[in-house]
Amino acid sequence: MNRRFETPRAAYVHVPFCRHHCGYCNFTVIARRDDLVDRYLQALAIELASLARPREVESLYLGGGTPSHLSPAQLCELLGRLREWFVPAGSFEFTLEANPVDMLPDRLGVMREFGINRISLGIQSFLPDKLAALERDHRQPEILRALEHVRGHVGNVSIDLIFGVPGETEDCWRRDLETLIAVRPQHVSIYGLTIERGSRFFGRVRKNQLKRLDDETERAMYLTAIDTLASAGYEHYEVSNFALPGFRSRHNEAYWTGRTYEAFGPGASRFVAGRRETNHRSVVTYLRRVMAGESPVAESEQLEPEDAARERLVFALRRIEGIDKQEFLAETGFRVHDLGGPALERFVAWGLLEDTPQTLRLTRDGLVVSDALWPEFLRQ
Amino acid sequence: MPSVDSSLIRNFCIIAHVDHGKSTLADRLLEHTGAVSQREMKAQFLDDMELERARGITIKARAVVLYHERNGNLYELNLIDTPGHVDFHYEVSRSLACCEGAMLLVDACQGVEAQTVANALAAMEHELAIVPVLNKIDLIQARIDDVTQEIEHTLALEAEQVLRVSAKTGVGVPALLDALIDRIPPPQGDPDAPLQAMVFDAHYDDYRGAVTYVRIMNGTVRKGQKIRLLRGATTYEVLELGQFAPHRRACQELTVGQVGYLICNIKSLENVHIGDTVSVPGDQAAPPLPGYKPPQRMVYCGLYPSDGQEFSVLRDALTKLSINDPSFEFTPESSEALGFGFRCGFLGLLHMEIIQQRLEQESDVDLVQTAPNVTYEILTKKGEMLHIHRPQEVPDSGDIEEFRQPVVRVNLLQPTEYIGGVMTLCQDRRGIQVRTEYLSPTRAMLVYDLPLAEVIYDLHDKLKSVTRGYGTMNYELIGYEPADLVRLDILVNGKRVDALSFICHRIDADRRGRAVVKKLKGEIERHMFEIAVQAAIGARIIARETVPAMRKNVTAKCYGGDITRKRKLWAKQREGKKRMKSIGSVDIPQKAFLAVLDTGEGNK
Repeated sequence: MNRRFETPRAAYVHVPFCRHHCGYCNFTVIARRDDLVDRYLQALAIELASLARPREVESLYLGGGTPSHLSPAQLCELLGRLREWFVPAGSFEFTLEANPVDMLPDRLGVMREFGINRISLGIQSFLPDKLAALERDHRQPEILRALEHVRGHVGNVSIDLIFGVPGETEDCWRRDLETLIAVRPQHVSIYGLTIERGSRFFGRVRKNQLKRLDDETERAMYLTAIDTLASAGYEHYEVSNFALPGFRSRHNEAYWTGRTYEAFGPGASRFVAGRRETNHRSVVTYLRRVMAGESPVAESEQLEPEDAARERLVFALRRIEGIDKQEFLAETGFRVHDLGGPALERFVAWGLLEDTPQTLRLTRDGLVVSDALWPEFLRQ
Repeated sequence: MPSVDSSLIRNFCIIAHVDHGKSTLADRLLEHTGAVSQREMKAQFLDDMELERARGITIKARAVVLYHERNGNLYELNLIDTPGHVDFHYEVSRSLACCEGAMLLVDACQGVEAQTVANALAAMEHELAIVPVLNKIDLIQARIDDVTQEIEHTLALEAEQVLRVSAKTGVGVPALLDALIDRIPPPQGDPDAPLQAMVFDAHYDDYRGAVTYVRIMNGTVRKGQKIRLLRGATTYEVLELGQFAPHRRACQELTVGQVGYLICNIKSLENVHIGDTVSVPGDQAAPPLPGYKPPQRMVYCGLYPSDGQEFSVLRDALTKLSINDPSFEFTPESSEALGFGFRCGFLGLLHMEIIQQRLEQESDVDLVQTAPNVTYEILTKKGEMLHIHRPQEVPDSGDIEEFRQPVVRVNLLQPTEYIGGVMTLCQDRRGIQVRTEYLSPTRAMLVYDLPLAEVIYDLHDKLKSVTRGYGTMNYELIGYEPADLVRLDILVNGKRVDALSFICHRIDADRRGRAVVKKLKGEIERHMFEIAVQAAIGARIIARETVPAMRKNVTAKCYGGDITRKRKLWAKQREGKKRMKSIGSVDIPQKAFLAVLDTGEGNK
């Protein structure tokens, strides 16, 4: 059965508010506009109502921005509303992205009350210099306190770390990894700092005020992370994601394996009925449109079966265990080798992909340069 | 229509260096004689090609008639505009053959330039009356006395004869018109003799066919009469004739001494030969006039469509261009690296640049250009003489008896303080000094014989930088001379890239080879494997650089909202790669094919 047309069993909700807009971030966020939160909650209620009837979901994910930035009362309203529309099914995963300084017992109490069972903490680093460079408002004592509180209320924790921050050395990175392992969260996301258009860091790099680390150092840091986490018992299951056995993010796995998902809030993207849609990224425009009874969708496209299959090929290959060829054929109607063509054979010959009768997967060499492979598998 | 008495006709051209204000002065003359109303006036009326206006230079010759009344007589002044750049010397000589006089225009600030000297000497060789004019006298930097002295020294013209004008303000223009009438002799010729007219240019009009520019030497041509182009012995009927005033203006006849155009329902410019003679059919035909020397192509390069599918689009675009510019030629060629394209011959580097720009403006073809080269001669051991238009044609060194390169005589004019620097520049390029002439205490002309290849690469740019922009140069081919030349090949991962081969002096091979591979290293993006870029003479590797393999290239975050964006980004990269040329598995960007222009001077 083609997964592209199944009823979504995952939903994403974007909460755009932040205390501060960090220099490396180009996401849909809005800082110091807490006055908009109430209107946002109203708009979200309207957008959710488009579902018409409650849905069974296996995962709900609140990302941002900073969902934890909302006050306990606002959180109550948001989570309560979500529970009206979404009915937990299976081993329900309910994640909320949080800033460590927000992890106070009052908010955590609300979260637990409404069934949040996974907290993703944007820690980024344990080192003061690196946190300052990233413009984060927490330091190690706040982190440790936050972890203590989270564990007391929710238990299942994911931590985000960033490497490749200007000024960072390999030694700094090793210390961050050691601290991380000592803390032992169930799940870890490791991101090489990418400085993209639209972020303040991008402008500073262009003006030579900020210097990116060289490829060689970034590669070494990435490989160090993979090896260190593996020896500490974490499974590397996607380019940037690691988990103790049984703790992979089910929500994110839905993105990577071509499942459908609903999405709500400014800048949120959904994949429903073979169609990709993204809401308007401007919070104000989103609010205006929804309040006026208009669609918040800014971009959308219907994927041809072959394009959907190609996309699936790329994003599934980013999962470390790779693609099960039979399953791929059964679900998309396309053979992996037909889509990959001579480029695929070449990458296998170069040792960037490993091809067995059952599976196709990235090798370690392929993983670190994988972005160079993907253009060959896609078409315009 | 004014009565046509050839004693009231004056035919002249303007000789000037680029930027010395020729087009502005021409505009002023047009305005002063009422040929163009103020309302119609747009700056540089004569330069009507878009590119000419954009670059402020004249590329094609033009002809325009001006009427000026003096002492009750109405004079007909035919101004034949000429290009100023060395590459278009060919067009200049065409204009000269149609005139009795030449206005020599010199910028009172810049002084006499190399090109001015060359063209003025050519005008003198054609026995034209020279009317020297100093322009821009209104500027405070004008060095009127110095520059007058330079004119006197270099061209042996009388200082008292030098007129002073400002094309910008119009000062001196009436006196200039008087001087043109007084000093330039009227055309000679017999109005009753059989028709004999010189074809000095032509352009193609989509509705009327070829528009032929003629100067009547003898006889008269009338509307409706039959004419013959002597070279092809083809006969046509004159459907329309007239003059440019400055737009086409039809009349009933053109008689001896006049300059104008003929429209004879000629379907293709290929049937009109510049330099041909127009006469009448039958036994009464006049003898042919001495024609022009055909244009000499000095520089060749390969032009390839970056998308192989566009070969025929490129061919059509080149054909269209060559119709209006017979000095440019092209022949199909193929390259292992670049596929099918054309080897194109140009008068010089500026000409090449202009053609390329026009191709890009006028057609929508994305071009890959190979580095320009000159034509070499090779005498083989078997006694054959080969003309080498591209490096790939050079035979094995064992088969070469003698390798010859074109040598040009270069005139370099600059303030005396820069002589040392310019001499070093020429010596580094294996120039042989011929002489030094002092035009004035502050300006000197150096004359060198230099390999043309050295001149076309970068001599002009280097001269400008050594002389802070004050130096000018001009050159003419003097012949071929044997030299110790080698073909340098470039290998990418062991595979020779034919389009990157070039010919250079053996002594320079190491330096050039190192510079080129270094430049290529910078142009080629990192791949998933290491890439060796080597320079070789025959089987011997003389330089190597390595493009290291890509070390890290992986997107960290890829969640729901990133998927569409990333997919589009990667698909776009694939399109970008398609535009590059793939050699083996190495993608080489288009501009890398010009890397061989790097002479390595910086690392000497």
